[in-house]
Amino acid sequence: MITVNNLVKFFGNLEVLRGISCQIAAQEVVVVIGPSGSGKSTFLRCLNQLEKATSGEIIIDGITVTDPKININAVRQEVGMVFQRFNLFPHMTALENVALAPMKVRRQSRREAQELALALLERVGLQDKTHQYPEKLSGGQQQRVAIARSLAMRPKVILFDEPTSALDPEMVGEVLEVIKSLAREGMTMVVVSHEMGFAREVGDRVLFMDEGLIVEEGNPEQLFNNPQNQRTRSFLSKIL
Amino acid sequence: MDFRFDVIFNYLPLLLQGMKLTFQLTIIAVAIGTVIGLFISLCRIAFFKPVAWLAKAYVDFFRGTPLLVQIFLIHFGFPQLFGMRSFPAYLSGTIALSLNSGAYIAEIFRGGIQSIHKGQMEAARSLGMSYAQAMFYVILPQAFKRSIPPLGNEFIAMLKDSSLVSVIALQELMMSGRIMQGRSFRPFETWVTVAMLYLVMTLTISQFVSYLERVFGKDDHGE
Repeated sequence: MITVNNLVKFFGNLEVLRGISCQIAAQEVVVVIGPSGSGKSTFLRCLNQLEKATSGEIIIDGITVTDPKININAVRQEVGMVFQRFNLFPHMTALENVALAPMKVRRQSRREAQELALALLERVGLQDKTHQYPEKLSGGQQQRVAIARSLAMRPKVILFDEPTSALDPEMVGEVLEVIKSLAREGMTMVVVSHEMGFAREVGDRVLFMDEGLIVEEGNPEQLFNNPQNQRTRSFLSKIL
Repeated sequence: MDFRFDVIFNYLPLLLQGMKLTFQLTIIAVAIGTVIGLFISLCRIAFFKPVAWLAKAYVDFFRGTPLLVQIFLIHFGFPQLFGMRSFPAYLSGTIALSLNSGAYIAEIFRGGIQSIHKGQMEAARSLGMSYAQAMFYVILPQAFKRSIPPLGNEFIAMLKDSSLVSVIALQELMMSGRIMQGRSFRPFETWVTVAMLYLVMTLTISQFVSYLERVFGKDDHGE
């Protein structure tokens, strides 16, 4: 589904990603962990080219997204993204937030898009909040709207950039529950997260990143219980 | 010491006529200025740098030179190139005020657009929207809402600055005042009345702007 070959990203003189290569299969849930500044968010943002790769190659569903000649908008329709700070559109209701892209990008009729939005909001448990503006919603509710919004484009992959880091502790569970249900339905996902319990439960594979490289990867049991690399061990000892 | 209300009463129709033209000029200037301003502000943040530089040059010129000079340049300066003495005053006045207003409004919109958190653009783009779609459906509606208070200030400033077109003999409120003074020999009554009429217009506009802020502000939570 996703192939990354020797991805390098510079911010000015700072080399944030120093040659990342990996494969992500369809229906796989990959959790990316690592200390802050290790480049895990940048890696995720390169996948849908919100950050342009300096060099290297990213192929998603057969399309080389790092090729400047491809239509990046078409690729992004297939690659959803959920942000740490939700980034809901504050001037639109929950329903309008979800229905906007299907209407404007997929050219669905207003009615069609709103029916879809309604179904998706119901799926994330917010059928009674459809006409609320984001400011009236809690952080957990906003993030669930954001997930519904990305699902509305029927993406083949969803990228989650620390989806629970900006939430109050009591709201983390409701958001993780939604993400887990997507995993059960076979959605391909790349999740940057500090939720180790979540990584164990739904992650098929965990990537540990440090200083712009994938230092170690493996299935959650193996990586959490028996880390091979010194840096992985030192990081896990600080957070577990 | 006498204050001649009857003089004011006699000349009031003349002043109201001028007031009407002042108001008309201001509305047209701010309306055209809004269109120019939107276009220039988008150019100023364009990725293609020469476009951004041209837009900045436009803003610098119209904000950095006196409006009075701009009026003369347009009314007397450019007609020379076409072998004319001047353009019709109404045309010159409208063009000068609109171009000037456009420069100020461009900066207002640019500020509004840049005040929107970049996560908004990223969220829109990540859904597959083009830059233009994200701008139009996501960024500009929020930016416009934030621009309403400074737009109100610009409207009021333009209303007062429109008095400068009296120098090319456009008979707006300021010019009407000069006519009244010349005919009545009552400068005190004249200018007190003119000032009051300007005040009525500016206060009306600020009331209208606070009304708009209440209507449009209800779902804005910042960020």
